[in-house]
Amino acid sequence: MSEPNCLVANDWVCGEYLRTRSQELTDATVQHLGITAVSVVIGLLIAFPLALFARRHRAFAGAVLGLTTVLYAVPSLAMFSLLLPVFGLSAALVVTGLVLYSLTILVRNILAGLEAVPEDAREAARGMGYGSWRLLWEVELPLSLPALFAGVRIATVATVAMTTVGAIVDYGGLGGLIMSGLQTDFKAQVLAASVLCVLLAVTADLLLLGLQRWLTPWTRIRTRRAAPTPGRAAAELPAESDATSDATSDAKPEAAGAI
Amino acid sequence: MKTFPRGTRMAGTVLGALALSVGLTACGGDSLEDKDSGKAGEKDKKGSLVVGAAKFTESKVLAELYAQLLSDAGYSTSIKTVENREIYAPALEKGQIDVMPEYAATLAEFLNAKENGPKAPEEKPVASSDADDTVAALRKLAKPRGLKVLPHGEAVDQNAFAVSERYAKKHNLKTLSDLGKSKLKVRIAAGDECEVRPFCAPGLKASYGIDVAGIDPKGVGTPQSKKAVQDGTDQLVLTTTTDATLDNYDLVLLEDDKKLQNADNVVPVVNAKDAGSAEIADVLGKLTDTLTTDDLMELNRKVDAERVKEADAAKEYLESKGLLKK
Repeated sequence: MSEPNCLVANDWVCGEYLRTRSQELTDATVQHLGITAVSVVIGLLIAFPLALFARRHRAFAGAVLGLTTVLYAVPSLAMFSLLLPVFGLSAALVVTGLVLYSLTILVRNILAGLEAVPEDAREAARGMGYGSWRLLWEVELPLSLPALFAGVRIATVATVAMTTVGAIVDYGGLGGLIMSGLQTDFKAQVLAASVLCVLLAVTADLLLLGLQRWLTPWTRIRTRRAAPTPGRAAAELPAESDATSDATSDAKPEAAGAI
Repeated sequence: MKTFPRGTRMAGTVLGALALSVGLTACGGDSLEDKDSGKAGEKDKKGSLVVGAAKFTESKVLAELYAQLLSDAGYSTSIKTVENREIYAPALEKGQIDVMPEYAATLAEFLNAKENGPKAPEEKPVASSDADDTVAALRKLAKPRGLKVLPHGEAVDQNAFAVSERYAKKHNLKTLSDLGKSKLKVRIAAGDECEVRPFCAPGLKASYGIDVAGIDPKGVGTPQSKKAVQDGTDQLVLTTTTDATLDNYDLVLLEDDKKLQNADNVVPVVNAKDAGSAEIADVLGKLTDTLTTDDLMELNRKVDAERVKEADAAKEYLESKGLLKK
């Protein structure tokens, strides 16, 4: 074996570490990404119907928001320990915990987004003969997208961070490397895994921002896609754009408060 | 007309998200099966075994040693590293973990507390300094829980006391009895609990007649504790027998010649249903017979000081002892 100098010296930055443990780092990153993505997607799939239901039934809304907030207050270490007898040592344990956490942020933001849709827009759509599904699909959902995305972005970044706690059952992605590095005072490992974790969060956030901009071209002044009649589209868009920016500014403090 | 493309876009996104989630969940399911179960199939490969490890170097190295030997014997193995005994013990009983490197006395008292209440280890301890008795007591507690305790070996990771090399030479100390006879006043660098634990200050006074002047609560085997003894602030430090960093602080262990410490010999514990076969006991027995406390210390040093990967350190050791073909 060669002399891995910076490993023995325990330097914070160590090329030898990156070279010899690239496989571990890759595996951990892939696992981290997988757990985060599955958790947020499942969270979204549950949060959306919950938010719709909460909007129809006022009494239910209070219960849902209260319950998800209480869940959010459970410390993650305790949450995983409580779920342990149910799931055993599995990725499902970590995913379930993370989904429960993401619900707080997602339900609140989706609800805020839907409620911020201007009544005028709804009236107009109804006047044009839209049914309730078509109204939701083609008017309310697009208009609440900025608030929804604000929620998804916060939930994703929070989930990337919280996935690390899954290390207690060996499904913590980069968290496993960070924890074992801390325990054995392995500086290069702690730094490399932490940096990757932050990069993961920032990248995911930027990708979601990109997706949001692509999905809501009307919030920008210039649309990337060549609209068939640019003049007309541009003339009609400002009204919508105002409405959506209201929705975002309404939603953001709420989302921040939820954390 | 205007809403049409937007509607399609939304639909596309939702469908995409759905497809992604289904795909990812499927992936998650697959990897779960790889790691956890799959015990049923593949009879020709003797089935798969999950070796558990707790989150500290020695446990991880032992798990690697077990896993490599078992996979050499034809089992397909994987290692699951979890936080602590509270988490892996139930998993071992349920069979989510099949094989676990354990410490006889500590596990015996852990099960004693589970069986007879949290005060049992203090009031009615089952572990002692005798390895055979301790393992026998452990077997009695483990069997009803579906656990099989394989034979123990010589390697032991238990509490131990060290002094500085200079101090040992000056007063001619090799054992704790020597220290008692020397009538030296010693300050112990250890945890707070040393004041009351029978294996620490009370035991040192009663069994060895050591004149304990006080306890410096710098923690068990922490760098600060060792530094204090190296500098001469304290004279005795509480650490463990497999501590690989003693040399760095010019410390030497004093032999526990009156057997004050519990027998925390390394012992493989298996889930009786999944891994209770004589063949597995045989494979692991070869390692148990070979492994010494010094080997364990050396393996710890390789991983924690030289930063060799646990798997590589284990492989090198097994090859050097002829337990694994090169």
